[in-house]
Order: sequence, then structure tokens, then C-alpha cells
Amino acid sequence: MAVRVQIPAPLRPLTGGADTVEVEAKDIAGVIDGLEGKHKGLKDRLCDATGNLRSYVRIFVNDEDIRFLQEKSTALKAGDTVAIVPAIAGGC
Amino acid sequence: MKIKQELLDAIAAHGKTGYPYEVCGVLLGRYGDGRVARVVPMFNREREKPRVRYHMDADDLLLVQMRYRDEKLDIVGYYHTHPDHPPRPSATDLARAMETGGLTDGSFHIVMSIEGGTRASAPCGWIFRFDGERFDEEAFEIEE
Repeated sequence: MAVRVQIPAPLRPLTGGADTVEVEAKDIAGVIDGLEGKHKGLKDRLCDATGNLRSYVRIFVNDEDIRFLQEKSTALKAGDTVAIVPAIAGGC
Repeated sequence: MKIKQELLDAIAAHGKTGYPYEVCGVLLGRYGDGRVARVVPMFNREREKPRVRYHMDADDLLLVQMRYRDEKLDIVGYYHTHPDHPPRPSATDLARAMETGGLTDGSFHIVMSIEGGTRASAPCGWIFRFDGERFDEEAFEIEE
């Protein structure tokens, strides 16, 4: 089923500037693979070497954080919107 | 990157108000435009060491993203203050940025030092380079 993925500005060089990408996926893991299939290099930007999401990368399905759903196994339905957002931190 | 003086003044005012704690916020602009159109102050969600750390929750950033999406404004960068510390990215800034993966690669960061709560340093601009694991200093043009 097709879901819409909102692409944040820093990833758009990899999507040819597109701010939204439609992928066929049944869960979030499928979204990540689908993005990689369409735009090579995207997965490395989101996941570490073991394939897990980097610790400051958050993914939301219809505004719900997947950490409070079923993480990468979170099921999707047609028309869902997926947003990828970083947490930003630092200090002096 | 271009930014209006009044936006830099807003960042300085935020930093002085929040002193002795770090303050943080978002830089909004149109993708590819090379200009900061708006700054949005954010909550510093850091609880343990807010004098020397800042943290912007993804939930808060998602709300900003949604709020300005119809205006075609994107998050093109971030700002934060260093109370009584130099306005350059620290080892902590770099370590946390690396944890975002490539999700903030190429993002513009403004760091401003707030000295004694009353004096704001000249702002410094930096670009995060994920592949290079570093921040590069980036000059910016101040518009009146």
C-alpha cells in the first residue's frame, strides 16, 4: 500500500529536491527499504551499521512517534503520512 | 546564508532572557533559498544540565514543521547559545549531531555566546558535515 513520506530538507539532495516521496510499504521497516530502493543512500542517513535507527532519529506515523507504537514493525495503511524528524541537542 | 539583523537580535534577546541556561531554536527558510526567513524559539528540554546542554525534542520540531508547511517554510537550521563559553561548536555539539545521522547533514547552525547575561557575542555560523564528522565555519550575510 502507498504511504506518503515527508522528506526533511537535509535529505532532499538525495530525492532530487522532492519534499514528499510515496513508497509501497506495510510497515516502517518497509518504508526505510522503499526509500533506499528509490533513492540510494537514504537508509545510511537514518540507520547505523546494524540497521537500527540512529538514536536521535525519530519517525512519526500520522504524528505518532513509532517508539510508542511498534517501532519499525509499526503497521501502515494506505494514505498514512510518515514524517522523519531529528531530535537536536548539544552543549558547551 | 543570509539573515536579517532583526532575527539575530531576536536570538540574542532569547539568549539573554534564558541566561544562565542555554536557549535554542529553529531557523526557517525556503528550501534552496539560502536565506533565514524566520526564527522560532524552542523549549530547552534538557533537564539534567541546562546550563551547559540543550535538547530540542523531535515532537516539538514536528509541530514547527507542520505549522509552517503550508507557508513552504522548512527547518533549514538551528540556533543555540553558549552561556559564558565561546560561540563555536563543542565536542558535545558534534557528538549529538552525529547521532542524527545524515538527517541534519548540511544544516546551518548559529551559535551565540552570552556573557554575564547581558552581552551577546557576534553570532557564528556553522554547517554540520555528517560525512566529515565536523562543523565547518560558514560566513553569513546580514541583511538590514
